[in-house]
Amino acid sequence: MAILEVQDVEKSFGGIRAVDRCSLTVEPQSITGLIGPNGAGKSTLFNIIAGLYRPDGGEIRFANQRIDGLPPYTMVQLGLTKTWQIPHELKKLTVLENLVLAAKGHHGDRLTNLFLRPLAVREDEKRFRKQAQNVLAMTQLGPLAQEEAASLSGGQKKLLELARALMTEPALVLLDEPVAGVNPILASSLMDLIEQLRQQGRTFFLIEHDMNVVMKRCDTVIVMHQGRKIAQGPPEAVRKDPVVIDSYLGG
Amino acid sequence: MIGTAIDTGILTNVAYFASFAIVYSVLAIGFNLQWGYTGLFNAGIGGFFLIGAYTAAIITTPYDPPTVLGGVVIVPGHWGGLSLPFVVGAILAMVFSGLAAALIAIPTLRLRADYLAIATLAFAEIIRRVTINFDTFTGGTNGITRIPRLASFEPPDPFASGMVLLGVGAVVLLAVFLFMNFTVESPWGRILRAIREDEVATMALGKNTLLSKIQSFALGGAIMGLAGALFIETKPYLDPQDFSPALATFPIWVMVIVGGAANNRGVIVGAFLIYGMEYVSVLLKDYVPSNTIYYVRLMIIGALLIILIIYRPQGLLPERRRVLK
Repeated sequence: MAILEVQDVEKSFGGIRAVDRCSLTVEPQSITGLIGPNGAGKSTLFNIIAGLYRPDGGEIRFANQRIDGLPPYTMVQLGLTKTWQIPHELKKLTVLENLVLAAKGHHGDRLTNLFLRPLAVREDEKRFRKQAQNVLAMTQLGPLAQEEAASLSGGQKKLLELARALMTEPALVLLDEPVAGVNPILASSLMDLIEQLRQQGRTFFLIEHDMNVVMKRCDTVIVMHQGRKIAQGPPEAVRKDPVVIDSYLGG
Repeated sequence: MIGTAIDTGILTNVAYFASFAIVYSVLAIGFNLQWGYTGLFNAGIGGFFLIGAYTAAIITTPYDPPTVLGGVVIVPGHWGGLSLPFVVGAILAMVFSGLAAALIAIPTLRLRADYLAIATLAFAEIIRRVTINFDTFTGGTNGITRIPRLASFEPPDPFASGMVLLGVGAVVLLAVFLFMNFTVESPWGRILRAIREDEVATMALGKNTLLSKIQSFALGGAIMGLAGALFIETKPYLDPQDFSPALATFPIWVMVIVGGAANNRGVIVGAFLIYGMEYVSVLLKDYVPSNTIYYVRLMIIGALLIILIIYRPQGLLPERRRVLK
């Protein structure tokens, strides 16, 4: 049973058909790669799945529930979180604040709870700060916890993206180029972390241009071209697929 | 005896000055919640201030029927005249200003940020024009007179009245300051700051940003309404011109920018500093023509703003970095 099913999803911007009746599935507890040339519609598809764009047509199911048309914050509450290709760090908040903000189910997120349930708010805050410190240690951002997010390097901001997503306790994470701009050693330990989290039950669906990462780390690879899926299968099979070679991988 | 008379005269002046500065501080704290913390630009502060002031005035003043002479209305009087205590007036002022802010926020905050500024600018001007022209309701340009003071003395004692006003003002400001610090330094306040930095990212982290924005805007509006209720106590009578953009919106922006956006301490410093210039200009009015001093003051404020934006854009007391244990 697939955790994510995209069926005939369409999205146009002006005259450009960014996503063109695209259908694909992501299996639970998998690391699924999404590849394709620039402009293939990968990021647009991620934005549609995460609720940031409303699709012109088609259906999206997450854990057997229709989610297309729901607002983005609902997706996160259901267990689907997306990271950004270009980091969207909250600049004037510290790294730790960026993470605690992302915590799911914080009583203090509601204005009324501040006055009606102050104890629950305080307990949640304590618990989520601790959890955030753990996530920061996992993503090697621990020493930067109290720095403003604006002061991080490009690669560190990518780590922050992943760390923040993990705070939302997602079942499925959409990672938009998680290791682009991250140095190879760190990128490798980042992918180790993703592998480890997958073994704990999470599912990862990621866009990546680094073929080494995709071929080595993904169980399934999906190839998009001109808004459509042109191939889906294990890395080895996709690599040899003549259609894929022709449109993306080259000779 | 003569010595003490002069001293209380100066102190009375200072008390009234400080009370005005407190009113503007409260207004600026309301705007700071909306803009400094949440990034919502309110271009109609005067409108919410006006609603609060008129609500409080209509609720606390005695019955004031129109004065008719030979079938012609000479003085329009105004509605209400419920003679209720100041506290009731202040609470209802907050309710009505907060509701007005929510009503504007709900449709416009779904749109791009610029529309909020346009809508609030128009709202404040409409509400002021309506106040001027709907005179059976508001007293029009005659304003509202016979506003009951917080405490009355027999024989009249300006010094004691000034001290009561200052005391009540200080309590209100302290309460607003503590309440706001508690709210903005909470997880809810963190969402507001996140929205200011990047609303889409905040939404994609599971936060209902539209709801938080509406709450922030309405709460800011309610605080402006409270400033309005306090304002009527500082005035002999209520005049709709006090709520023009030049008097009740633009100076508040300057106070927040100069003092330090997203820092309520800084905002209070900004309010006292900017309003303090007005006080100094009043003190100098015996030596310099008042027109000259008015324009000189505006020039000084303008120059100060330019210098500050170039050399210290974060304001005198900038936003702090929050270190979470």
